[in-house]
Amino acid sequence: MSPHVSELLAAYHDGELSLKRQQQVESHLQDCPACRAELEELEGLTSALKAYIVPDSTPPERFAAQVQLRLPHATLAPARSKGELPAHWALGVPLALIIAWTALQAALWVISATLSVDNLTGQRAAFFNSWIPAGGLLSINGNLLVINIILFAGTTILWSAWMALWLVWKEKEE
Amino acid sequence: MTCLPETIEVNDRDLIACAQQGDRQAFSELVCRHQEKIVSLTYHMCGDLRLAEDAAQEAFVRVWQNLNSYKPQYAFRSWLYRIAANAALDSLRRERPTADLDSLSRADPGSGPEQSVEKNQRAAHVRRAIAHLSPALRVVLILREYQELTYQEIADALDIPVGTVMSRLNSARVQLRHELLVLLEEI
Repeated sequence: MSPHVSELLAAYHDGELSLKRQQQVESHLQDCPACRAELEELEGLTSALKAYIVPDSTPPERFAAQVQLRLPHATLAPARSKGELPAHWALGVPLALIIAWTALQAALWVISATLSVDNLTGQRAAFFNSWIPAGGLLSINGNLLVINIILFAGTTILWSAWMALWLVWKEKEE
Repeated sequence: MTCLPETIEVNDRDLIACAQQGDRQAFSELVCRHQEKIVSLTYHMCGDLRLAEDAAQEAFVRVWQNLNSYKPQYAFRSWLYRIAANAALDSLRRERPTADLDSLSRADPGSGPEQSVEKNQRAAHVRRAIAHLSPALRVVLILREYQELTYQEIADALDIPVGTVMSRLNSARVQLRHELLVLLEEI
């Protein structure tokens, strides 16, 4: 007699075996009372479970109407998977960074072009003296150069980080 | 509203596509089509018809809310079963089931009072045994024995490997056989 097929009996009972395996189990069952008894136990259990039937429930139309009453009134939210950010963020954030940087640069240029240290007095003079060169923005001054480098580097880092994150999210989504 | 007769061939995919555009009528048709199976699943999970219907309705509300995240390459049924099983477990966490008198008192028209009482006792016995299973074992057993899903479909619905489905099913059956020993001897 072939070796017992206990480990295959559940899959056999559930119709999950390939044809070849199924034939192998059937052939074994013909000669093995122990495996036959085990299979009968499985069948008995399935049969016993069928005693637990669902009582008459709400008719489908009424059930569907009840579900409708529980649905939120707002329309469905646009498709968005976990972890994905809305599409306008992807363009909006780097664009905002560029605009902010450009605006700051323009402000510096306008200030340096319209004001000179000579026509400022008191505290304002002291403040502007610290970072606007007398010859205007285009004349390289140590403080101004540092400020510009920091602004440029900061913006580049932020933008690169943002784009990298966005690409990762995009890849996940695909 | 009325559900479309089965002869009208509008498949689930078309209904889902319409529902994703906000068509509530199409969604109601989906609800009608799957209500029986979903209530059956939640009933076997909860053992109480009122809780089961509430969980099934909650499941359909969640389906509606997340319909746009559903991807058509996956089986809608599996996705629905997963949501319904979770809704049933949430429902059980919130509220304890009470004895379901509807199912116990329902008489079988083809049998006499004694046979009916015996059937009810059997049903109650099975229900108690299933309720003693852990949620992880219970849901696998119910999806196999009552919903008749394949191992692969169960794995997809619960997002677990097929091997885990087989081992959980085996554990559930061993435990049930132990609990239902007397009942099994009578069969």
